[in-house]
Amino acid sequence: MREQRLFAEFASTESLVEAVRRIRERTAGPIEVNSPYSIPELDDILGLKRSRLPRVCFASGVAGAAAGLALQWFTNAWDYPLNVGGRPLLSWPAWIPVTFELAILGAAIGGVIGLLVATRLPRLWDMTFELEGFERVTTDRFWLGTAVRDEDTAHVREDLAAAGAIRIASVPHG
Amino acid sequence: MTSSPANRIDTPIVLDTDDDDAQLTDRLLAPLRSKSKVWYALLALSGAGVLLFVATSIYTFVGGIGLWGNNIPVAWAFAITDFVWWIGIGHAGTFISAFLLLLQQDWRASVNRIAEAMTLIAVFNAALFPVLHLGRPWFAYWLLPYPATMAVWPQFKSALPWDFAAILTYFTVSFLFWYTGLVPDLATVRDRAESRGRRMIYGVFALGWRGSAEHWQHYRIVYGLLAGLATPLVISVHSVVSMDFAITQLPGWHSTIFPPYFVAGALFSGFAMVLTLLLPVRRVFHLEEIVTDRHIDAIAKMLLAMSWMLIYSYVCELFIAWYTGDPYERYVFLQARPLGPWAWLYWTMIFANVLAPQLLWWRSVRLSPLALFALSLVIQFGMWMERFIIIAGSLSRDFLPASWADYRPTWVDLSLLVGSIGLFLFAFLLFLRFVPFIPIAEMKGLRREIRGAA
Amino acid sequence: MTGSRQPLVHSAVDDAGSVTRRDFLRVIGSGVAVAGLGACIEPPRERILPYTARPPEITPGIATYYATTMTLGGFGTGLVVECREGRPTKVEGNQHHPASLGAAGVFEQASVLELYDPDRVRTPRQRGGVGGWDAFVSDFALTPASGGTEQGRGLHFLLEPTASPLTLSLIDRIRALHPAVGFTFYSPLAFTGAMEGARAAFGRPLQPIYDLSRAAVIVSLDADVLDAHPFCLRYARQFADGRRLRTRRDGMNRLYVVESAFTTTGGMADHRLALRAGDVADVATALLAATATPEEVRPLIPLLSRAQSEGPATSWVRAAAADLRAARGQSVVIAGAEQPAAVHAIANALNAILGSIGTTVRFIEPLLPAEAPEHALTALAAAIDARAVDKLIILGGNPSCTAPADLRFSERIRNVRSKAYLGLYHNETALDCSWVLPGLHYLESWGDARACDGTASFVQPLIRPLYDGRSVDEVLAVCGGLPTTSAHALVRELWSTQPDFQALWARSLERGVIENTASPPVSAALDWAGVLPVLAAERQRAARDSIEVTFRLDPKTLDGRFANNPWLQELPHPITKLTWGNAALLGPETAKRLGIETGDEVSIAFGGGRISIPAIVVPGHAESSITLPLGYGRSGEERVARDVGVNVYPIRTRGAPFIIPDAVVRGVKTGSSEPLATTQGHFTMEGRAIAREGTLAAYRADPRTIVPPHEIAPSLYEPVAQSGDQWAMTIDLSVCTGCSACVIACQAENNIPVVGREGVLKRREMHWLRIDRYYTGPAENPRVISQPMACQHCEKAPCEYVCPVNATVHSPDGLNEMVYNRCVGTRFCSNNCPYKVRRFNWFDYSFGVPAVLWMQRNPDVTVRERGVMEKCTYCVQRIRRAGIQAATERRALRDGEVVTACQQACPTRAITFGSLDDVDSEVSRSRRQERSYAVLGELGTEPRTRYLARIFNPSPDLTV
Repeated sequence: MREQRLFAEFASTESLVEAVRRIRERTAGPIEVNSPYSIPELDDILGLKRSRLPRVCFASGVAGAAAGLALQWFTNAWDYPLNVGGRPLLSWPAWIPVTFELAILGAAIGGVIGLLVATRLPRLWDMTFELEGFERVTTDRFWLGTAVRDEDTAHVREDLAAAGAIRIASVPHG
Repeated sequence: MTSSPANRIDTPIVLDTDDDDAQLTDRLLAPLRSKSKVWYALLALSGAGVLLFVATSIYTFVGGIGLWGNNIPVAWAFAITDFVWWIGIGHAGTFISAFLLLLQQDWRASVNRIAEAMTLIAVFNAALFPVLHLGRPWFAYWLLPYPATMAVWPQFKSALPWDFAAILTYFTVSFLFWYTGLVPDLATVRDRAESRGRRMIYGVFALGWRGSAEHWQHYRIVYGLLAGLATPLVISVHSVVSMDFAITQLPGWHSTIFPPYFVAGALFSGFAMVLTLLLPVRRVFHLEEIVTDRHIDAIAKMLLAMSWMLIYSYVCELFIAWYTGDPYERYVFLQARPLGPWAWLYWTMIFANVLAPQLLWWRSVRLSPLALFALSLVIQFGMWMERFIIIAGSLSRDFLPASWADYRPTWVDLSLLVGSIGLFLFAFLLFLRFVPFIPIAEMKGLRREIRGAA
Repeated sequence: MTGSRQPLVHSAVDDAGSVTRRDFLRVIGSGVAVAGLGACIEPPRERILPYTARPPEITPGIATYYATTMTLGGFGTGLVVECREGRPTKVEGNQHHPASLGAAGVFEQASVLELYDPDRVRTPRQRGGVGGWDAFVSDFALTPASGGTEQGRGLHFLLEPTASPLTLSLIDRIRALHPAVGFTFYSPLAFTGAMEGARAAFGRPLQPIYDLSRAAVIVSLDADVLDAHPFCLRYARQFADGRRLRTRRDGMNRLYVVESAFTTTGGMADHRLALRAGDVADVATALLAATATPEEVRPLIPLLSRAQSEGPATSWVRAAAADLRAARGQSVVIAGAEQPAAVHAIANALNAILGSIGTTVRFIEPLLPAEAPEHALTALAAAIDARAVDKLIILGGNPSCTAPADLRFSERIRNVRSKAYLGLYHNETALDCSWVLPGLHYLESWGDARACDGTASFVQPLIRPLYDGRSVDEVLAVCGGLPTTSAHALVRELWSTQPDFQALWARSLERGVIENTASPPVSAALDWAGVLPVLAAERQRAARDSIEVTFRLDPKTLDGRFANNPWLQELPHPITKLTWGNAALLGPETAKRLGIETGDEVSIAFGGGRISIPAIVVPGHAESSITLPLGYGRSGEERVARDVGVNVYPIRTRGAPFIIPDAVVRGVKTGSSEPLATTQGHFTMEGRAIAREGTLAAYRADPRTIVPPHEIAPSLYEPVAQSGDQWAMTIDLSVCTGCSACVIACQAENNIPVVGREGVLKRREMHWLRIDRYYTGPAENPRVISQPMACQHCEKAPCEYVCPVNATVHSPDGLNEMVYNRCVGTRFCSNNCPYKVRRFNWFDYSFGVPAVLWMQRNPDVTVRERGVMEKCTYCVQRIRRAGIQAATERRALRDGEVVTACQQACPTRAITFGSLDDVDSEVSRSRRQERSYAVLGELGTEPRTRYLARIFNPSPDLTV
């Protein structure tokens, strides 16, 4: 059966949310919503699952700390042990600052890389960029995109219009 | 600034405006298009400073540290003072955006990006000095643990590698935090751009952001995480910097109170710098409705609080010095500083950091941009002197009276300080011109929340 | 004759001062040849040895040592000089030589730099005329052929007084040949007061030699015997041996000093009396009165009774007198060189009365002319005015600068038709002369000398002359028309009369002394008849309250002859710590009276001259007295010396060469006066126990009052496992006089750069070893205590743990090592060094140093580059050298085998160095003394350098 993609532009978050609700009732197809700013309540309506980035962040933080500690131990206590000021070779208290800093560094870098992976960015071109008027999505407009079977198209269009879409565009699939 | 003092404090926390999203966006993007004469004038002025900095740096690099006033015992003086000063200034930024974000202080939204940019530039500035002040700067990389032919590694009992790690981390994390926050707005600039070239350039930096709900979800998480990471970092960085001094035996340096003391001082000078920058920007770009008096008032109050943390530290220092009965420490704190050859410096510092800020108890002062601007300069001046007194002052009066000596800066020392200020302003001006310095998306989101709540 | 000495220009260094490789090898070759001379081979002049055929004496990298003699003020001091591939690099004392006893003072230490001074005269030149020795000889020399009394009339030699047998014999031979030739001896270093005093007391001029090791009580009447005396190295050692404490039971001698300016001797005094130099005579008289019984001094009663009634500082006199009487035969009274005959006469009288002659003091026939140099010079001036001198040959010295001002000698020289100057530098005199002839440094010339006890020794070259120079003896011989003119031949000729000459020659060159040549003591019987008049004359002086002005040889440049030596210029003055210049020293009261402070100027007018000189207020300096150090403000062509400090000669006249009783002194408040370059600004210890001291009585009663126990803080860390030698140093403050020989020795050994006046003003001096100087005791009559301060080699070194790049770490044998190659120059280590002994290369100090000076460098020590930290290494190069030696001999190091440069130079043996691994080593034992302590030990740095608290021995009758 043939499918096509429908995109609708909205002027307000209320109508956007309304539209999302209607589409969900009708089809289980994927829905992408674009907005100039974050709209937290959409997560549940769209049924997005919790982000796993915090775990990534934590893991990379631990890795950073381990690396820091290992580095200091290896360089100062193992590979080239020197009598420095009569202090013990294994002077771990002195190693805390670097370990801590590297933990933070690891976590931060891990987190950001995680974000890029999760969002598949940077991605300088996206089909939506071709839609007329889409550029206002970073200013004051809201867009909704979904894939529907041909036979449902009419109903979906009605739903969108009813929800207050000020523009509806369809792109044949494939 | 038009409204009367009476209703000022009652203005909403953010956004004292009725524009719709589009208007607001354009308004916030206006500075990127502005052809302000003031801007060009300042750019030229600070540009001269940059040249001065570059010239004197090269001169030092070629001629040697001997061109400065340093000596034995005062082996550290201006350069390290400048370093600590800039690092300190670089603290308010992350503190404002990260710490206040965690505390959900919404008012931060209109000032955080300026503060973050300030942080980045200040930290970059600061990082130049330790390298420049090395006897053999071309070997600065020896502080990095890499498998060298000499098979020698850095020595991690020293506070300097800690510094290295701390500053590196701080700069990186601050940058990531700043840039992450910037991405949606860069996308906005991309989409509002008239010229293709502009669209291309900003498009690249915007990473192809299109505000997808799923993206927003991850974005919120990571931004929050970065904030959470940056906050302890702010505390740790200046604590580590303070350990450059605290881990030594030198009377006047050897002190357990240093980490919190330095952090307080850092935030103090940092917030002062935020005011120094924010007040003119707000005026020049007519942003009174976005950076409202509430913001200014809040920052002024922070200043007051910080000044009291400092006062507490000063008193502690003096009391402990007296209480230990250690002759060397007593001499430094109770004789050399208040009565020694640099007494005038000490008392000027007391005036700038202890007395002057008390003016902030008066609301009229907190709400007078001019007074605040002046005060912010006084405070930064005072904080520079505090660091100088701690660093050079303590060195010049240590254990053996026979090795005591005073210190006199040369014109090179002074030029480097002045030049670094120029460098700072130069970078900041560029930032104002090419980066949306008020978070647009966040603003709009925020307004929706408030309206929804209301 | 000189023709046979061709080619005359055989210099290893061209006029640009750079060393070409070929010449350098030639220099090396000559060094090699000289090496042979120790074993008596023919003179090396024409022998050049390339290294392709390496002579057995020399192994590259291994130092060789040769004995020679340095002459100063007419007397020789025996030295052993280290030679590196033919380059003399380091001067040490010669233990066999009576004037050295193994020690070498600042001038000896610094003389090696003088050898390589780029400002030296290089070729003989006639002003505006031809050059070359032959031209000079044809102008000046007499010919042996034509004898006759008239021959040589109008030819006149001006020399510095010398005891050299060779020089004196040459003069005699010339006089015999040409009676008309004139000879004059002048030098500001020659003092005749002692001989005058002997003439008064014993009827004829004699020269006193003291034996301080046998003296329990020493009274110095303004005599700086520990620092400014031809025998000072010996006296300092003897003095130290007399008060060195190994246990609490050991005895100590007691030193009384009356003086105007603070000298090192005064700094060591148990009882110091600060008094105008002009009033010392009164104290001496009073002392005589108080010491002698009436019948011993009956003839003087009238004088003495007055003295007693008006005698100043009565308590000091009484205590000294009591001690002197108690220590009959074991006491000695020494009069200062600058003091008038009367004071010397009294000293002689006291020594005679107390039976010290023969025990602590003996007399020998004078080795130097008894005529006061000022008189001699006056005679010459008269001769010049009478047109009786048409050829003047000045051999060394610098009379144009140092002659009494009222002689206007410089002008007079210029009035002589033809005049020649032989010397090392283009100094003031050279500029006045038509001929300037390059002299020889003692390290490149043959000759002989006498120590001031008469012991003779040879001067043996360690290197071929760098330039086309001749020694004083050679020029004498040539100009005197003598047959032999090579110094080597002359000296052999002179001594060949000795029995078994070949053996003596070899032995003496090896040992550095010619045995049994010391002058025999002569009997000296006191005769009041002579004493009375001088005493009476002295009493004639009306009581003055005017401000007196005294001249002193500067402890660093003497009369100015060392003013071109940067090491000495940068050496801090033992008391004022002033470098690169001189200053008028005066007491606080006097300063008030003149309305000035340190840094202001005093303007002094006398004898038609006027000078203006910055002042330094020195607590403990006699009031109404101003001390002017000679030897600065030089106006010759020496680049270093020129215009450093103030020339005070313009007010120094024949009438008052040492003391001006009544000069016109004015204080000048000059706010703009350029700051004085001192290396220490704060002279009190702020009540901190840094340089500890106490009285002998207290020490015996309870040492803990001086050094409290448990002053080393306990450590939280596990002790670091130690194996093998553990190096450590002990410095005994009881015998350290602060003479600073160690500082220059360290500088020479370790290639330590000079930073110049500007550098010192910025407090960037590079000395690895500095001497901290503190005032202790009552403000009105303070004591000084000198504390040598170098890297303490802490076992828990604060500098090490703050270095980010492991550039300063600890060696297994307990050295705090500085790795120059690894240093990036954060200077963090210096900040955390409580002793502030680390030095930083602010600039590239070795850049632009003339190549000829490279020859002095010690090849075992890295020359540091710009931007790295440096500091004392305990002379690690010497430790390793000894270690390698021991290893090759398959044995452990012996105690005392490693000697650091500072230790080796120290005249008083105040420095002990060795391994703690050996519990019986000197250093281990010294650390077990109750007065051993660590400076700032409470910081837990556990320094390897320990100090022995300074114990002094005041008289119980006097409060200190």
